[in-house]
Amino acid sequence: MSTVDDLRRVIRRIEGARPPRPAAEPVERVVDGELHETGQGTIVLVQREYPLSHRHGAEPLADAVAAPLALLARAARVDGDVAAAGGLLFLDTETTGLAGGTGTYAFLVGAALVEGDRLVVRQYFMRDFDDEPALLTALEPLLARAAAIVTFNGAGFDLPLLETRFVLARRRWPASLAHLDLLRPARRVWTGWLPDCRLSTLESAVLGLAREDDVPGGLIPLLYFDYLRTRRAGPLRRVFDHNRSDVLSLVALVGWFGRALVDGSSVRPEELAGLGRLWEPFDLERSLACYRGALGAGLPEPVAQWARLRLAWWEKRAARWTAACELWDAARQHERFDPRPWEELAKFQEHRARDLAAAHAIVQDALGLARAAGAAPSVLDAFTYRLQRLTRRLERHPGRC
Amino acid sequence: MLGEILDDLLISASTGRCITATRHFPARPPVLAPFPSSLDPRIVEALRARGIEQLFSHQARVWELVEAARHVVVVTPTASGKTLCYNLPALQSLLDQPEARILYLFPTKALAQDQLAELEALAAALPEMRMFTYDGDTPQDARRAVRARANLVLTNPDMLHSGILPHHTKWANLFQNLRYVVIDELHAYRGVFGSHLANVLRRLKRICAHYGSRPQFIMASATIGNPRELASRVTGEAVEEITESGAPSGEKTFVCYNPPVVNPELGIRAPYLGEAAKLAIRLLKAEVPTIVFAQSRLSTEVLLTSIKQGVADRATGDAGIVRGYRGGYLPNRRRAVERELRSGEALGVVSTNALELGVDIGHLDAAVLAGYPGTIASLWQQAGRAGRRAGSSAAILVATSAPLDQFMVTHPDYLFGTPPEHARVNPDNPFILVNHLKCAAFELPLGPPAGGGPDEMETFGELDVRRELAALEDEGLLHRAGPRYHWASETYPADHVSLRTVTTDNFVVIETTFRDEKQTKKRNIIAEVDWGSAFATIYPKAIYLVESTPFVWILRRLEGRQHAAYLAEQGEVLVAEKVVGFKKIKLGTLENVGSGEVELPQQEKQTTSVWLTVAPETLERVSRSREELIDGLRAVTYLLHHLAPIFLLCDIRDLGSWLGDTTPAERGAVATREKAKQRLMQAERFQPTIYLYDAHAGGIGLAERLFEILPGLLRHGLGTLQACACGFGCPSCVGPVNEVGRRAKATAARLLSVLTA
Repeated sequence: MSTVDDLRRVIRRIEGARPPRPAAEPVERVVDGELHETGQGTIVLVQREYPLSHRHGAEPLADAVAAPLALLARAARVDGDVAAAGGLLFLDTETTGLAGGTGTYAFLVGAALVEGDRLVVRQYFMRDFDDEPALLTALEPLLARAAAIVTFNGAGFDLPLLETRFVLARRRWPASLAHLDLLRPARRVWTGWLPDCRLSTLESAVLGLAREDDVPGGLIPLLYFDYLRTRRAGPLRRVFDHNRSDVLSLVALVGWFGRALVDGSSVRPEELAGLGRLWEPFDLERSLACYRGALGAGLPEPVAQWARLRLAWWEKRAARWTAACELWDAARQHERFDPRPWEELAKFQEHRARDLAAAHAIVQDALGLARAAGAAPSVLDAFTYRLQRLTRRLERHPGRC
Repeated sequence: MLGEILDDLLISASTGRCITATRHFPARPPVLAPFPSSLDPRIVEALRARGIEQLFSHQARVWELVEAARHVVVVTPTASGKTLCYNLPALQSLLDQPEARILYLFPTKALAQDQLAELEALAAALPEMRMFTYDGDTPQDARRAVRARANLVLTNPDMLHSGILPHHTKWANLFQNLRYVVIDELHAYRGVFGSHLANVLRRLKRICAHYGSRPQFIMASATIGNPRELASRVTGEAVEEITESGAPSGEKTFVCYNPPVVNPELGIRAPYLGEAAKLAIRLLKAEVPTIVFAQSRLSTEVLLTSIKQGVADRATGDAGIVRGYRGGYLPNRRRAVERELRSGEALGVVSTNALELGVDIGHLDAAVLAGYPGTIASLWQQAGRAGRRAGSSAAILVATSAPLDQFMVTHPDYLFGTPPEHARVNPDNPFILVNHLKCAAFELPLGPPAGGGPDEMETFGELDVRRELAALEDEGLLHRAGPRYHWASETYPADHVSLRTVTTDNFVVIETTFRDEKQTKKRNIIAEVDWGSAFATIYPKAIYLVESTPFVWILRRLEGRQHAAYLAEQGEVLVAEKVVGFKKIKLGTLENVGSGEVELPQQEKQTTSVWLTVAPETLERVSRSREELIDGLRAVTYLLHHLAPIFLLCDIRDLGSWLGDTTPAERGAVATREKAKQRLMQAERFQPTIYLYDAHAGGIGLAERLFEILPGLLRHGLGTLQACACGFGCPSCVGPVNEVGRRAKATAARLLSVLTA
């Protein structure tokens, strides 16, 4: 609307005649669901059940049931008691946008619970904005029953959004609910070795899942708005599929974490190094074991170099000098010149072993390699300075060789 | 010291003839009132600890009215203790009810910081005070804490608009318990900004109603003509005004200074910046604390440089006693200048109107105003920066050669006798309104009012917006479900609405030759220019001022008034503007030193306008030569355009003018200045029409007011023309003689006498 006249033209057009809405093609039939009366209005409910033997990608759902929840909760730094009875509620929302704030709606909420020997996925859908009270009514008992919610990026997105919807509708939001956001541990494990930490990336790289005919997430709000205007529900079927697949991926990821946390041998070396990073803040020995395991299992470069230096740093802090020196020694063999292990080794020889000549030799080699590799001036300066200092000390104490 | 300098100025042969008027304002004793009995004794104690034993009468009056649950606006001069007017009820309510919430709005972040410091000092010994600023500078991780803890939040309208209202559920506690909304510097919210604020407050009140609160508004304003009207337009509530200040003031002298004429033939005066600098240097050398107001960022720098040269210590060259202050300086630097002025470390400051607002810089003894600041209200604001509660002070207005300035310094009775202008807002400007309706729908669906039937629709403020909502639905931005309109777009509408302009598109100016400290080429953003001014300020070879030519079509006539000599009408017009060339103009003297042409696309906007069509009989009585008439009418157009801002409390750039006719022209054909004249020369029916239009798309209410005051404007135009001493036109009346022609001034004078007869 660029001018007042445009506005007037639109107003005139509307005031002429408002065409009646086309008869609604019932969405519940298109998505194979049913109408569900909540007492506060009706929504569309789609329910699917999966035996625990079902594999999502390569991942059996049963692994999630077997996952050591207390361990996972610790690793994901969850407040609250995740392992309590009642089980996990796997939750994912489809929304009218990513902007957040009070004008963004969650129009489809997918929720999965383990019930007996089956995983039950329920999807709650509002056919229009005035179905929202019914949607929230349907969600309330689920939230009340769950011991914890499992999401992917729920801390940053889904849960604040749902909380906003609850507050807007003057309903109580269970703020104290424990929440396991899988994005946090996923970032620790995969950042650096996967191009990004999006759920779709993890699905193909970790869960071995190839989605067919998947609807791009960015398109989903537009599909919903189209449906609101035209009442043609056909294109929504892919949105329901997408959401269901997201929920199943949450279950599969919990299964993956459960297995990996218990037994590191089942995962790839990069992932094992990532688990080391995950454990680092609260279980150092377990973390270092992961790093050692990953290096021993043939961790590829450049991750291996990172893991060596990380591990060496911890060994140095624990004064396990032999182990540290071995790692630095391996690290300085790296095909691309890396000044850090050289510097560490020189410091060790000078201050710990008190072998000035050995330190001098190391720095001299390092300087030559650094020059050949075209290292940054700051690196060259640091080595030169160190070399000069060592030379002076050697001249002063020639006996210390 | 100050008195001696003023006497000297008056007596000296060189300066005495430049002083066109002086006025003395005697000292005024305070009018005091005891602390109200309902004021919490802990607050009384805090006041006593700060040396306050009684209130000024206006402070006590605000207290009474606020207690009586009225919305109030208090209008008082600088340094009259207006912040206490709103701080007292705010602190009291927090003591009575720690759960209460209070929102303070300031037009800038810096003012919020200042006020927080003042509040904290006063409330240091009081319990339950949790006061925080919340604005663009609040770190992300601190925001949650502020939302959870604060019971008094200091912010600005922009943050309320884009950061708080669209996330109101996170602020549920605030909106449930919102007791007062304090709006300081209300006079700053005029024109576009005020029209936006009025809509932001419509949204705020909707959200409050949703959470069940109904806040009371306490506002403070510098002197303007219509504080109550502005306050009630902005808040949509009935407001009580308090205009009697009980604060004492010292004796004050106001001097009008017109730079001497150096070229009587062309009417050229000595450059005003140089004259202003001389006066300031004289004051500063005598160690009189002085503030110098410049009218633009550029002239601030020019003045600062020459004043620094003038006061520099002969031995060391140190000119550190003078500082510069303007928008565009980084906040830290501004804070430092404020501090140095308060402590007396800096003796003088050269500033744009940035220091007009209530930033605390202590008390100064003299103000030099380099150029009339555009409005009577600003004039008193700036002059008021000099002045203590006791002791004498002075303000000197140095006139430029613009018509406005010359009118003011040669009509001291008008200058001193005219009440300050009315501040205008137009909350119903369709562009502004529709943008805020989008934000409102985002915040909460629009639907039937509380207790209303399903066929009813809530109003927005008092406004029926059903047609606008239907239009937005048709555009696909809203979706109607049941009786309610919901936001149905992925976007976050507040991000696309800037409170400081009508439309939000803008241009950024990028310095492509910039190199960083490592000599790497970088794109450096040096300025942002809004869409409306971009075409006139940035274009190829854009180094100097621009010449742009509008062309106006009438779209609809809303009102008309027949006078003996002319027909005045008001309505909506389409203005097409095309930048066709630029002039190079020498700074200071405004001499034309060259020109060039540019080829840019035409820009169109719809807005409101008044137009005045001169009757054929009137024209005949003035002259038989069409060309002479056209030159004369052009001169009148120039004069009216330059004088109108006096009466509208607006900037000269808020208005546009054009001389054309009412015969419909081919659309799309934009005329150059010469072509427009030719067209009039050749027209079959010669019915010249003067247009004065609102330069903001959709209009911000200027045209309606112009229509009301047109007869008075014409009379003042004639007065200015007759008072101007130039022979054939100068920049101070109808424009420079080499542009309007040698007979234009005389013809214009005859035209105006007939039009005002």
